[in-house]
Amino acid sequence: MTPPSGLHYDRYQHEGRPEWLMRIGAADAPPILFLPPLFEEMNRTRAFIADLMRRLARRGYGCWLPDLPGTGESGQPLANIRWSDWRDAAAAAGETAGRGSGKRPLTVSIRGGALLDDAVDAPCRWRFAPVDGESLSRDLTRAGLVSGTHYAGYEPDTDLMESLTTAIPAPLDKVRTVRLASDRGDADAKIEGPALWRRSEPGNAPELALAIANDLEQWVQRCAGS
Amino acid sequence: MTLSDAGDVDLTLRAVLVDVLGLAPERVRGFVEATPLFGALPEFDSMAVAGLLTELEERLGILIEDHEVDADMLETYGSLLTFARAKALR
Repeated sequence: MTPPSGLHYDRYQHEGRPEWLMRIGAADAPPILFLPPLFEEMNRTRAFIADLMRRLARRGYGCWLPDLPGTGESGQPLANIRWSDWRDAAAAAGETAGRGSGKRPLTVSIRGGALLDDAVDAPCRWRFAPVDGESLSRDLTRAGLVSGTHYAGYEPDTDLMESLTTAIPAPLDKVRTVRLASDRGDADAKIEGPALWRRSEPGNAPELALAIANDLEQWVQRCAGS
Repeated sequence: MTLSDAGDVDLTLRAVLVDVLGLAPERVRGFVEATPLFGALPEFDSMAVAGLLTELEERLGILIEDHEVDADMLETYGSLLTFARAKALR
């Protein structure tokens, strides 16, 4: 049997507008909603996230990845987006991801995606290298200082930046946090691998993706049993 | 980690360049003071600068103010090392 690991582009609705929701795996399989890093880190980790989704789809899960409004292939300009739009969009994408199976999706959030996962109605949450919004905001400001552009070429709304700066990953029950071995932050587990979100050349790290897929699958099974 | 001398800062800076930019360790070992960085290495773009500064802060236990960040300090390996040493060993 070949598990369904083909790529599909579904839609979710945000404020009456369709936004893209990439899916790998069957629409009625146990769902996992991926919340990607924010801004430039999102582009740098896209290949890695797609690899992770394919691995989990082969293990029988339905994996979903939204383009947040104002990012990726969204028809909305980033300048029009408020922080609450991203949180509402994450919630809406989660609802759509759960429709086919009738189950609430687990969330897998990476870096700044962890600032949005509490907006999703999820039974359990898994976070990779979660980061405070203040740190992301500082990175954007600094990148702008040396490139001579505001926020490294991005033009986010003032509300978005102000809300980002005070956002922290929500302290919740049933959260598992995994970090890189080189990261000093608190975590339930640490895994060796490169900080792909720092790399200007978007790359992948198959060994890291495999280790993460294994950790994730155990956590998903534990969550289902709890 | 306690930094006792200038050599420690040198090693830390090289390790951060390897980790953040994804450069080969043997290549970074060959960097000399005059090796050009910002504007010369395609891997060293503006977002990478932000990542580099954040990593340096964490690993050297320093705080870098926005007004201290400019293209001159990032121009060569030597200028970046001088900056890092002045911060870490003061």
